[in-house]
Amino acid sequence: MPFKFHGGVHPDYKKAPDVPVTFITPPPQVVVPMAQHIGAPCKPLVAVGDQVTMGQKIGENEAPVSAPIHSPVSGKVIAIEPRPHPLGDMIPAVVIENDGLDTPCTDLAPLTEEELNDQDAILIRIREAGIVGMGGAMFPTAFKIRGGLGKVDTLIINGAECEPYLNGDHLTMLNHPEELLKGIQLARIASGLDKAYYGIEKNKQDAIDLLNSLHPEQYGVEIVPEEVKYPQGGEKLQIKAITNREVKPGGLPAGVGCNVISTQTAYAIYRACYEGVPCFERTLTMAGSAIAHPVNAVCRVGTPFSYLVEQCGGFVKEPKKVVLGGPMMGLIATNLEAVNIKGTAGILFFTEEEDRTVENPTCIHCGQCLTVCPMKLEPLYMYKYFQKRDFEKMQQYHVLDCIECGCCSYNCPGRLPLTHSFKTAKILFAVRAAEEKARAEAAAKEAEHK
Amino acid sequence: MTPKEYTFDAGYQPQVRARRGTREIMLDVIIALLPAVAVGVWQFGFAALIPVATSIASCVFFEWGYRKLMKKPSSIGDLSAVLTGLLLAMTLPGNTPWWIPIIGAFFSIVLVKQLYGGIGKNFLNPALAGRAFLFASYATIMVNWNGWLGSVDAVSTATPLAQLYAAEPTAPTISMLDMFLGKMPGCFGEVSTLALLLGGVYLLCRKVITWHIPVSCFATVAVLTLIFGNGGMNHVDWMLYNLLSGGLVLGTIFMATDYSTSPVTARGRIIYGIGIGVLTVVIRYFGGYPEGNTFAILIMNCCAWFLDQLTQPRQFGVTREDVKAKKAAAKAAKKEAKEAAANG
Ligand code: SF4
Ligand code: SF4
Repeated sequence: MPFKFHGGVHPDYKKAPDVPVTFITPPPQVVVPMAQHIGAPCKPLVAVGDQVTMGQKIGENEAPVSAPIHSPVSGKVIAIEPRPHPLGDMIPAVVIENDGLDTPCTDLAPLTEEELNDQDAILIRIREAGIVGMGGAMFPTAFKIRGGLGKVDTLIINGAECEPYLNGDHLTMLNHPEELLKGIQLARIASGLDKAYYGIEKNKQDAIDLLNSLHPEQYGVEIVPEEVKYPQGGEKLQIKAITNREVKPGGLPAGVGCNVISTQTAYAIYRACYEGVPCFERTLTMAGSAIAHPVNAVCRVGTPFSYLVEQCGGFVKEPKKVVLGGPMMGLIATNLEAVNIKGTAGILFFTEEEDRTVENPTCIHCGQCLTVCPMKLEPLYMYKYFQKRDFEKMQQYHVLDCIECGCCSYNCPGRLPLTHSFKTAKILFAVRAAEEKARAEAAAKEAEHK
Repeated sequence: MTPKEYTFDAGYQPQVRARRGTREIMLDVIIALLPAVAVGVWQFGFAALIPVATSIASCVFFEWGYRKLMKKPSSIGDLSAVLTGLLLAMTLPGNTPWWIPIIGAFFSIVLVKQLYGGIGKNFLNPALAGRAFLFASYATIMVNWNGWLGSVDAVSTATPLAQLYAAEPTAPTISMLDMFLGKMPGCFGEVSTLALLLGGVYLLCRKVITWHIPVSCFATVAVLTLIFGNGGMNHVDWMLYNLLSGGLVLGTIFMATDYSTSPVTARGRIIYGIGIGVLTVVIRYFGGYPEGNTFAILIMNCCAWFLDQLTQPRQFGVTREDVKAKKAAAKAAKKEAKEAAANG
């Protein structure tokens, strides 16, 4: 029985898992950003004019918190220059002209039977294949698992997919159930554990039944059907649901002995180990009222949004926002020339229809935000002190422990930009901390001088 | 059209929002009040709708006018002024002269609500404050219960609550069932417990209010009146009469749960409800003024903010032990500082 957590909301899910998965033909030109993970960005390993094969490593950084990047197509490198990154800014990218042949790279061979049971071999492969958290966090998976060794006693696979619109995980479960279970098994072996828990929201009953019919216990996996409630898939809440442990404020999942990896990450691990295919492809959902039909698609990284829009039949209405990921936690893209990356779980094109901002957001002191906050915070006071830029009070109300889930803003009848403010507040705190540090250093230097 | 022509909003996370805004919530409360309005019309006749109409109209007018004068964006669209007007009218006798609510509305909207910045910022419940003001200023009109259609003689026009708390307490002349249904003299919207409870259940189902305030308040009144009782009457009867009379139900379900003036934390709400219950009973017993609920709520209104501060919820991931340890540490630190100061 999964454990319950406080708060949460029931957004309009608008999921369309019955739309079959289409394979998006890779575009004539792919743009592969050299930063598709949290941590040190990669340095290009190729030069303009080089021929590359599909799956060839083209970016690398030796730093532990990093993940190599592979070419999603075969063809010729035509440029290495800053290009629009989906999260804003211009980031160095390798631009490859697609020859359309998809000649595979043979650098990564499938692991042997023996290696498939070897913790170290799997971990090395996960790193080599450039696997990162594909739920959106894009934290390098190998580092995450290694960091948890010895501390973590529970491995959790996140199959909640609680964000509206998104179906990628659900469809991966339906289309590749066995591969997925094998991938989870590998992650479990890599973590040195006997058992992994796969938490899936009950609105995916077909997937739960299908996975259960394949005897998940053979793979050391237990399927845990979970309550349908956003943000069930939040890392802390997934841990709470399965183990009833609560991550301390400011703490890490490993602090309570848990590691959470996402469904598509597990699938990517399967492909890397069993098929020798690195991470350059994922299932994502494109939806929103600006395009005619929602599409569930398997798509290479580095595909420009403009090309994807074309593949969905173009815009039928004037789009106002491009959201990367789900609508609750997703980030905003402002440039259609940006490309999808490893962590892009969805691309939503919203028009005014989805917009419900008002001109004079006014707090009516209703307390709804407290009722829904899964972290049991008091968003209305956090907001009040944010507006006054009262850092001490903000800290007293634990702004820094907000998980940015968006529940409070979602439900706020006064339509206050709560979550947005808390994100800004965190940035302000970081800036302040940096300033203080600089000041302290300067003072220390001066003291030394004397 | 090529995609490049578009400009995109930066947007605020989350990119979707629930359909329900302030306006929809206010509308829900208005809907929840309709059964009680219907009973009011049944008991006091259609003429009783006149003060209701003037009350609503003047509340909306003052809200609009004040914001216009102050060059603030208009807020009548959120329907909160309509609700205040309706609530104010419901706390007045059915035969109130039509102009009385206008004075009340001015007091409620301008002095109590807008001067403090409008919805969400006022610390007193506007409708109740307006009512209290009218009761204080126009006492004779406000306790004239003759508008009640069922009034046949002088005795029945005393409210049950007045009979309960008369110098020589007597059981009300009206049966408990009639009181429950609303067949008794009283204020326009307060008489029918049944209709008000229906509204309360609706609000709970729609998640407009939480159970904390009404339940803790009713429970407190029930327990206290059951324990203390009063001269000669069966304690259970006494308790039920107390619950059914004097606007307690209207006040507790619709006034005490007013957003702006009640705490937002769950524990804060429970303490707040208990406070209202205790004060209501105390005022009824000792105040010589049976309509204690109004003042009880207004007094607790002033504590709402303080209760919020006092009852900060325990965060996710923080256990009771953590809180205790933190408190102990803070205490120790204080003590140390004190000792250090004492030692020079
Ligand atoms: S965004 Fe932050 S404050 Fe708002 S509900 Fe989520 S955790 Fe709570
Ligand atoms: S939900 Fe919005 S309006 Fe309600 S108390 Fe919180 S911030 Fe204020």
